[in-house]
Amino acid sequence: MSTMTLYVDKKSFIHHVAPLTKLLYVMVSIAITYIIPKLEFVLFVTLTSLLILAIGKVFRKILPILALSILLIISIIIVQGFFHPENQTVLYSIGFITFYKEGLTFAALLTLRVLNMIMSFGILILTTKHDELVEDLIKKGMSPKIGYVLLSVLQLIPQMRATMGKITDAQRSRGMETEGNLLVRVKAFFPLIVPVVLNSLHNTRERAIALEVRGFNTKMKKTFLNLSKEYQYTKTIQSILWAILIVTIAWRILS
Amino acid sequence: MSIIQVEGLKYKYPDTDQLALDDISFEVKQGEFIGLIGRNTAGKSTLCFALSGLVPHFFNGGYGGKVFVNGLEVRQHEVGDIAAHVGLVFENPFSQMTASKYTVFEEIAFGLENMGVERNEMITRMDESLDLLDITSIKDKHPFDLSGGQMQRVAIASVIAMKPKILILDEPTSQLDPQGSEEVFKVVENLTKEGITIIMAEHKIDKLAEYADKVALIDHGKLIDFDTPAKVFSRDDLPDYGITAPTATRIGKALGIKDSKTDLFPVTIKAISREIGDKL
Repeated sequence: MSTMTLYVDKKSFIHHVAPLTKLLYVMVSIAITYIIPKLEFVLFVTLTSLLILAIGKVFRKILPILALSILLIISIIIVQGFFHPENQTVLYSIGFITFYKEGLTFAALLTLRVLNMIMSFGILILTTKHDELVEDLIKKGMSPKIGYVLLSVLQLIPQMRATMGKITDAQRSRGMETEGNLLVRVKAFFPLIVPVVLNSLHNTRERAIALEVRGFNTKMKKTFLNLSKEYQYTKTIQSILWAILIVTIAWRILS
Repeated sequence: MSIIQVEGLKYKYPDTDQLALDDISFEVKQGEFIGLIGRNTAGKSTLCFALSGLVPHFFNGGYGGKVFVNGLEVRQHEVGDIAAHVGLVFENPFSQMTASKYTVFEEIAFGLENMGVERNEMITRMDESLDLLDITSIKDKHPFDLSGGQMQRVAIASVIAMKPKILILDEPTSQLDPQGSEEVFKVVENLTKEGITIIMAEHKIDKLAEYADKVALIDHGKLIDFDTPAKVFSRDDLPDYGITAPTATRIGKALGIKDSKTDLFPVTIKAISREIGDKL
């Protein structure tokens, strides 16, 4: 299928949780790590997200995405470890480099929040069909235009990549060097990117016309071909998530 | 009764001085197949846009005159409202795919969902369209995994499912192979039998000569002629408008053979074969 998708088609309990419930989990799990800024609590939430990924049989799929965040995490540790304003207690020194307990604790908190954020979004994206999620959001009142943008980007990027391949071949056949050292590649960049962008703009205008004549901007109430799927435990899980959010807010206010 | 009425239509695109459509008037009866011919930039596509409401609503610009489609004055109604009466299919099949659906079946449903068609009715119409365009076998495929000809048929099916009274096709076969082009013409001919009015801008003159009831010749935004294919293609000044007469007409002119029914030069291979056969 000519489309970008991170969805992993597996049979698991998490795959059978309603898309909007998973979206609520993303929001709640991120929010509570800010409402209760305790390292142990954030660690617990992060481990919960990790467990859910494992139950959803998509843990391995999240690893490349986590790997991408390593640079961010390292920079957090260095910046906070060295320069956190409350740095007092020296933890250890290597030459002129000194790490402080306060800074590293805060860096650990930020790191866990980042990891939890990635993993909770991972739960949503890896175990949910995006068209189903977007359709559910439109049914809940999200603008169909935003829904369209979300879905079309995922399909059009591979198409643009294919166009780029065709244009690269065309330019090569006319003698342009596209491979080699950095200078050669930089010189090849504009003759390649300009036709791709112009082609995409032209297609975008035509696609806008196609949408227009198929009533995309009509003010009529939309109907849907796909029926909403029936999911089990939706109310129970959503109630638990709302309760967790309320309890954490109450705890924060009272403590 | 006329399903399309164009009265003194003038239009110029924003930031241009020249009229893209210059005082065009004509009428079309329900179920007629009208071919639009003319050189590139003659104004064929602009006329197609004007009949579907994209001119002036989508393109803006200077607009004069009146266009009525199925009783609606185009200028007074939104494109979305006109879409229920007029379908538009254009040249590039790729850019007509919405890029938001994952199967051909869902792709065809897109317009119906927007028009608020009830689900059971939607499925019935989609099945009819798939059947009419003979694409039921690819209904579960991803739209971008299809060939150009298949995509164009999906584009037509998507529009047909919306049950328009008028179908406008702007060079729908320009990116198709001969087989694909023939299929599109056959489909369109079947649609006229269902009572759908067809307006088709096309460079494949031989095909238009075979299928069209009337031909509109356009040049520099002006309607030069609007008559039967036999009358329009018998004109001696066709090359002045960038048009080459159909093969049958050129043979007829070269051999001095006229269609005994119309006393004009034949426009189809069938007609000239009949005349030659009679002479032999």
